[in-house]
Amino acid sequence: MSRLKALAGLTATALVALVGWSCETTRTALAPSTGEPRFHFLLFQCQPLKMTGGGRIDFPPGTADQNPPASHEYETFGAHVMASGQFDENGVCVADKGELEWVDHRPEMEINGHPLNLHATSVTFAELAVDTDCSDGAVHWGGKLRVQNTGQENLDFEVWDCDNGEPGNGHDGFAISVPEIGYAVMCPDPNLPPAEPSCTLTGGNRQFHPTH
Amino acid sequence: MKTDSIRRAVRFLGLVLPLTWAPRAALAQGTATGQSYGVGVTTALVNQKVAQAVLPAGEMLAQNQASDATVPGLVTAQSIFAIVNGGGTDGSDAVSSVTLGAVDVLNGLITADGVVAMATSTVGDANAEGSSLANLVVNGVQVDNPAPNTRMSLPGVGFVVLNEQIPTTGGMTVNMIHVVLQSTVLGIPRTTGNIIVGSATSSVN
Repeated sequence: MSRLKALAGLTATALVALVGWSCETTRTALAPSTGEPRFHFLLFQCQPLKMTGGGRIDFPPGTADQNPPASHEYETFGAHVMASGQFDENGVCVADKGELEWVDHRPEMEINGHPLNLHATSVTFAELAVDTDCSDGAVHWGGKLRVQNTGQENLDFEVWDCDNGEPGNGHDGFAISVPEIGYAVMCPDPNLPPAEPSCTLTGGNRQFHPTH
Repeated sequence: MKTDSIRRAVRFLGLVLPLTWAPRAALAQGTATGQSYGVGVTTALVNQKVAQAVLPAGEMLAQNQASDATVPGLVTAQSIFAIVNGGGTDGSDAVSSVTLGAVDVLNGLITADGVVAMATSTVGDANAEGSSLANLVVNGVQVDNPAPNTRMSLPGVGFVVLNEQIPTTGGMTVNMIHVVLQSTVLGIPRTTGNIIVGSATSSVN
């Protein structure tokens, strides 16, 4: 009887250790990278997550200040991503689903007289960033998108997404890069809290959900 | 006997207590709703919304857009993008926005180079941060950063409410330009229509 108890105890200990070990796994995902030096968004965990919301970023990005009313120097967006915390055979932490709608209202970014409009056609990866100061959660995710103005598609994009408490305005952050067309709205200043390269929202909210 | 009772109590607590635990996200569950549109006109002859996005129940994103909007004699606008986001099945957040360029209401009576309406709702909070009017001119007067619910008379037409913010249950509605059309009968003004440019609504309940 006591042997059985000892065996049960050992098994339970091994299971707890196994679960703990699986939660501790930290890997660098095989996702697109800007190639610039990074201070945050370097360490990731592949786990179930969801990030939702939308917002506004004013240009030049990086502060919570809106530009003068006469200016059209801002971007607005809606975006969400969901993941179950599963790696694929290439070690990519896959996303279950997601969407991105991005509008850049800067006059210099207009195409055919209309604001630049990016639309995600697929969201392929999403990983929890564990090296940021985003109080509620940070996610690095991306996939493929289409430039609605031109029809250009299958362009890789990546996003650095930060929920840093409430309200989102002045606290949360978001950044996007589409390397193939040289487009990026990023704030690579390590002194900018809470996590470069994400840019501080001037409106809206990002909401991190630890599971979905 | 006493030991058995204690054991039973421990067993009971061990079974029941874990059931009472719920993660923060689960506690924050609610229903997120939202909609936004670029132009809305209601008169005796017209009932129209342009570039309207409505968040379907349980979904997380809806969007709509129009390169131009024209309601003859009443309003024109360009490059309208309406985007609505919600938290999905655990709807603890909702953000609605709409942006417009080159707005002209009532043949130049009100003009703006750009309009952004943004309504953000989370559990226990709602705000209109991110909303703005670029180069707004009302009846020949430049109006910069109008405070919430700024009302200006439009002689012979009615009045306009700028940066209109209306609290709702669990959220709010933001109408950046809301013209109330009125006619006067026996000295009493009577509302005959509404023109809304840039409307965003979100709520979490």
